[in-house]
Amino acid sequence: MKYPLQLNVNGEVFELEIPANRTLLDVLRNELGLKGTKEGCGAGECGACTVLLDDEPVNSCLVLALQADGRRITTIEGLSGAGKLHPLQEAFIHHGAIQCGFCTPGMILSAKALLDRNPYLEEREIRENLVGNLCRCTGYQKIVEAISSLVKRKD
Amino acid sequence: MVKYSVVGHSVPQIDANEKARGVAEFVSDLQFPGMLYGKILRSPHPHARILHIDPSKARSLKGVKAIVTADDTPKIPFGPRTEDWNIFAVEKVRFIGDEVAAVAAIDEDTAEEALDLIRVEYEELPSVFDPIEAMQPGAPLIHDKERNIVSEFKLNKGDVDRAFQECDVVHSDRYYTNQVYQAYLEPMACVAHFEPTGKLTLYLATQIPSMTRVTYAKALGLPLEKIRVVVPYYGGAFGAKMETNLHLAAAVLSQKTGKPIRMVNSREEDFMAGNPRVPMYIDLKVGARKDGTLVGKEVRIIGGSGARAVYSMAIVATACYRVDSLYRFEHLRTEGLTVYTNTVPTSCFRGFGNAQMTFALESSLDMIAGDLNMDPAELRIRNGLKTGEVSIHGWQIGSSGLEECVRKAVEASGWEERRQEKRFARGVGLACCNHVSGNRAFSREFDGGAGIVRIGREGKVLVYHGESDMGQGQRTVFAQIVAEELGVALDRIEVAPVDTDISPFGLGSFATRGTVFGGNGVKAAAQDAKRQILEVAAEVFETIPSELEARGGKIYVKDEPKRNLSFEKVAEICLLRRGGSPVVGTGFWAPDTVLPDPVTKYGNVAPAYPFACQIAEVEVDTETGHVNVIQYTAAHDVGRAINPQTTEGQIHGGVTQGIGWALMEDMVVEKGKVLNPDFRDYVIPGPLDIPPIKSILVEPVDPNGPFGAKGIGEPALNPSPAAVANAIYHAIGVRFTELPITPEKILKALKERQK
Repeated sequence: MKYPLQLNVNGEVFELEIPANRTLLDVLRNELGLKGTKEGCGAGECGACTVLLDDEPVNSCLVLALQADGRRITTIEGLSGAGKLHPLQEAFIHHGAIQCGFCTPGMILSAKALLDRNPYLEEREIRENLVGNLCRCTGYQKIVEAISSLVKRKD
Repeated sequence: MVKYSVVGHSVPQIDANEKARGVAEFVSDLQFPGMLYGKILRSPHPHARILHIDPSKARSLKGVKAIVTADDTPKIPFGPRTEDWNIFAVEKVRFIGDEVAAVAAIDEDTAEEALDLIRVEYEELPSVFDPIEAMQPGAPLIHDKERNIVSEFKLNKGDVDRAFQECDVVHSDRYYTNQVYQAYLEPMACVAHFEPTGKLTLYLATQIPSMTRVTYAKALGLPLEKIRVVVPYYGGAFGAKMETNLHLAAAVLSQKTGKPIRMVNSREEDFMAGNPRVPMYIDLKVGARKDGTLVGKEVRIIGGSGARAVYSMAIVATACYRVDSLYRFEHLRTEGLTVYTNTVPTSCFRGFGNAQMTFALESSLDMIAGDLNMDPAELRIRNGLKTGEVSIHGWQIGSSGLEECVRKAVEASGWEERRQEKRFARGVGLACCNHVSGNRAFSREFDGGAGIVRIGREGKVLVYHGESDMGQGQRTVFAQIVAEELGVALDRIEVAPVDTDISPFGLGSFATRGTVFGGNGVKAAAQDAKRQILEVAAEVFETIPSELEARGGKIYVKDEPKRNLSFEKVAEICLLRRGGSPVVGTGFWAPDTVLPDPVTKYGNVAPAYPFACQIAEVEVDTETGHVNVIQYTAAHDVGRAINPQTTEGQIHGGVTQGIGWALMEDMVVEKGKVLNPDFRDYVIPGPLDIPPIKSILVEPVDPNGPFGAKGIGEPALNPSPAAVANAIYHAIGVRFTELPITPEKILKALKERQK
């Protein structure tokens, strides 16, 4: 049995019909072809599938697609409009925060939600807020440096 | 020091933009018309005879396109080192996770549903899980190998018994290094496509594309020319992604269906049937004189290979003797046994056995330094091999920055002050390591690296190599080397994905060899391309090539800077004058490494040897047993950093994995079953578990490395567990000889000490 689903992804509205058991991750990747969202564990433990749902980061492998009905979703593909990179993408590139790149989309989206919520972050807060996104290549250091380069100073 | 314009500069990885935008296609993203999805039926038993397989019910499930078992394969025993592999289990299963059958279906859900419908009748057999137990008389035999011993490594030099008698201090300890999982973020994956022409194209996440192809040709009973391996982007490997039956199962399904088959391990499958680190029992005895001179080393290692040998015997051999070329031991007795068990096959993980042994040796040296009341840093400097020395096994140390690494790490970490002003439950620990850049003992057929540099009409440079970039930044380093040689900007260079139809036969990315071998290979190819470019430019300028130079994207007549042509223009002239041919430079580098003698192990396994010293500072919570790593310094002899930023990135990642291993990571296996096959229960370091890491690059400029570079991948991890363990000892006075050092173990030890 399929259900109607309306998704607003990166500003574009999609009308779909899907079975109830399909995850948002599956629909993004396999129905909409947005492969920038990665699957690392399928159990909400690694954060590679992080997308923004109404600006909040979620593990899209744990969200049923139907739960996202009528809501706003941002994937990595939605960050770099008109060929221009988002400042976080620029920062990740220039600080060497990307190695294999598999965690990168989720990491960048988590960082975006974090900075949007609070642009005045200390390094410790950045680390605390990224615990849901695993990276096995970088040791997080250059990721933290990249994000730190964009925080505002309180003085 | 010579100034280079691209080499030695920190530049972002050349593919970082694609990855940041999420448009880089990883293996698990690939999609082809008509593609089907494969899943493997895995054994639920650690050891059992297969009596009967009935796929009929599964076959009738809607959407199922094929079901294959061993009967659909040529049943040729194969393996990268031994011949104890089958694509699917023949007669017996030998571990929980062993491949029994595979399904291809229109989607993954259907394939998984079909797995549940395949009926397999098993007769369970007695099983054995620990390598020491597996060697005992009467233990169940897993393959037909006496006492389940896959291989034995033996090596004696000097007179170790007499040496120990003459030592002032001797330490004898048993260490255990546990089974840990590489935990790359993208699980193992592939797409296999048997085309109507009879050619099999494999899109693989593999570190060794060319060697994998050779192994798979044998397994499938196909001529080598019928197999093409392509390596797209893939999400990390750290040693694990070499040969795997996942790839072959996909090939068999594609052969059966004629369709492209994509197969991706679930995370659980990746834990239960990947290639985790070889666990080892290490009995180590080390003796030194009063002045700190190391004299003798006796070691006996028992390594668990799991249910089939992948590279475990080479890993145990490495653990047995690589450290003998770190310090000047004169007397050695070494025995290493690799033993089958009914558990997941174990194999390469960053460090290749040297990481296991470095934990043991560097812990023992910490104790020896303590007994001698000597600074552990001084002990290392006194015994460490220096530039120009030849080790006891014949390894020619072309450059050694070990002493500089120790001195710089000591200085940057505040080592001396922290040792003097000892604070409650806080401590510092130091450990060193050596490694190889390339391993002749591993690549026995030949040693070398090669490249192809193609320059098109528009002056775009395309570099082909046969190694494998798993995220470490290899493509970028190759591009930097080629740009430097050709005198052009980095953005002129593209590095092609490895495709065995086009790329050179690269031995691959292991043994910290990519930069040195692939780097020298593409450097030679760039030199050949440059020679051709300069020949044509010389015709234009009516001079000889040696009167020209290439720099800043132009070809100049020396001493007449006004006479120049752009690189692009010369590339176009080349093509127009040579019947449309692009400039194709080919080149190779074949160093005179020496295969170790089978008995004495004397040889010279690598053209270059990296060294390192790391210092950890920890704080132990004596209430909870939690260890907080508060400061970390890692000084690495990298020869020359082609790209300091990516080199640092390797150090950060290696140290992080090492800290994870030291303190938290452990595959819990009970009766052959992995009890924690997920990231909730198998915890890898998160951003709060790791302090900022001070990395120090020591650059002695190696005579053999490209522009003097050596590798960094594995030495980045090797010393970390020992540095942490030594720091814990300094903090609370308890010596841990088993990994990981968990809060439970710390609390238990503290309690016992109170009694």
